This record gives sequence, structure tokens and C-alpha cells, in this order.
Amino acid sequence: MRGSILTSSFIAISIALCGSAHAWNEGGGEQDEALHLTPDLENGMDVYEVCSACHLPEGWGTEEGTFPQLAGQHKEVMIKQLADIRALNRDNPTMYPFALPESIGDAQALADVVAYIEKLPMTPENGKGEWAEGTPEFENGKKLYVDNCVKCHGDDGMGSREKFYPRINGQHYNYMVRQFEWIRDGKRRNANPEMVEQIKRFTDADMKQVINYTSRIPVPKDQVAPSVDWMNPDFE
Amino acid sequence: MNRQFVAVCVGLMLAAGSNLALAQDGAALYKAKTCWSCHGKDAKTPILPIYPKIAGQNKEYALTQMKDIKSGARSNGTSAAMKGVMHLVSEEEMATIAEWLSTLEP
Repeated sequence: MRGSILTSSFIAISIALCGSAHAWNEGGGEQDEALHLTPDLENGMDVYEVCSACHLPEGWGTEEGTFPQLAGQHKEVMIKQLADIRALNRDNPTMYPFALPESIGDAQALADVVAYIEKLPMTPENGKGEWAEGTPEFENGKKLYVDNCVKCHGDDGMGSREKFYPRINGQHYNYMVRQFEWIRDGKRRNANPEMVEQIKRFTDADMKQVINYTSRIPVPKDQVAPSVDWMNPDFE
Repeated sequence: MNRQFVAVCVGLMLAAGSNLALAQDGAALYKAKTCWSCHGKDAKTPILPIYPKIAGQNKEYALTQMKDIKSGARSNGTSAAMKGVMHLVSEEEMATIAEWLSTLEP
């Protein structure tokens, strides 16, 4: 009896481990295909119209964080996330219908739209946490960032396109808090298991402070729109 | 001109003005709150066939559904997709949207 419980526990854990490793980056299929196609930016603009209803024509999402900023994001990251949402590896009921082939199109359309989005200039005013530089909360967040996040996301928050790590500089505070919490608590199923492990002991206060710092990492000037009033001329 | 007549005139002008404002607000809110992303720009071309056409819907019904999906009282079907954005919409705004939807041609 005891043996069988141990055995079934072992099997369950093995499945869980394989499952999470598998779910993080399955690759293959349309993800690989889209990564290797030459993008057509004109078509990417056409495809983006449906996305712009929520992420806005500028790709800036919303400062209050319901919709993330997509502008400037690595196209590899967006391909992976779109493929994951399509394949139901990342639960996002609001986004789901827009990720379907009926809405976006085939692997070529995926390659086109993400190339278009990556080139959009970013918002000069992303949503930020409440603690300005110099406050104890900011400093604690900075220390947490250095100790836990730099290895993958970089000290400039640029992530890594080759490894599918998102850039997180310039992203909206509330959006990042929500994703961080879901990753920590296992709700975001396509999370990188290394990150789940890294942040599992974060308290809610630590989480808010590290994201506060992250939301305040400056974005390189040449990637930011000239003003918060900038409008995407492609959609005038 | 008697005072009552003036009052009625002013009342009518205000009512006409506020109806116009309501129509503009309703249409603007329908876009700004991202309703149109799923239900279509004309409110009758949903992105998925399992999402409803809502142009011309009874305003009482539309308002109840919006309130229930926001509160979680209604959680069946594809309402999870809508719940993700309902924190953006106040009850007053829901009423304005519902009123405007009811004026559209189905």
C-alpha cells in the first residue's frame, strides 16, 4: 500500500515535471516555422488591426495594465506567446479568439505581425509602481531584482530574444504584478520552471517592490516615441 | 412668454442634448472599453460565432448581463473572456452602453 502510494506519487511528480518543462517551450510546428520566415511588414500592419482594438494602434496597451505594451517586444517572445495561447498552454480567455488562425492567419501572418509590432516605438509613460527612487521600497526592489532577475532579464531589463525571455523594461506595473503572481502561484502554465523556482519564496510585498523597480528601468531613448501624444500614422 | 413654457422648452432642449451626449458617450465607451474588439464595430459581427450579436439588445437584459459577468454571478460559457475587462467599466458606464446598444438596428 505504502509502496503503491510512493510509486503513484513518483509518477505524478514525474508527469508534473515533464509537463512543466514541456509546456515552457514546446517549440516545433508553427512556432519554428514563423521564426524562420521573412516578414512582410505591410501585411503585418494589416494583421495588427485586429490586435489594435485592445493593445491600441500604438501597441502601448493600457497604463493601468489590463493590456500589456507590445511595442518593442522581441518578436521571438511574441511568437512563442501567441503559439502558446493558440495551443492553450497559456490561459487567456480574453485574448484567445484573437490568437486563433481564423483571426491572425498562418505562420507567415504570425511572422509578419510580430515584426511589425516589434518596430513600433514604445510609450514614454508606462504604468509604474508607487515608490520613487530613493525610497526604501525602491531600494529593496532593486536589490531583489539584482539578486533574482538579472541573470535572465538583464540589468537593463532587455531579456533575451534567443532564449524567449521577454524584455520587461517599459512594461506596465499592474500587468507585470499580475503575471508575476500567476507565475509564482502556478496559474500561468507556460512559465519557465526556472523562474517559478526562483520566485517561489517572494512575499506579495517583495513582488510589488521588485516590479516597482522593474517598471522604472529606463527604456533606451531611441526606442521610445517622441511624446505620449504620438499616434501611429499607419492607423490614422 | 410664461414661465412654465420656458421651463418646458429648456427641459426639452436639455433632454435632446443629453440624448445626443448619451449616444456619443455610448459609442465612445463601446470602443474605449474594448467591447467592440469581440462584439464587432457594428455590435453585430462578433469575432467568434459563439459570441453574441448585441446591436438592438434590450437595455435591461444587456445591463444585467454586464453586471453579472463583472460580479462573477454569471460565469458560464465564454463569459470569462469578458470578465477580464469588466473591471474597466463602472455601472453607470454599463448603463450608458446598454442604452446605446438598444438604439442600434439589430
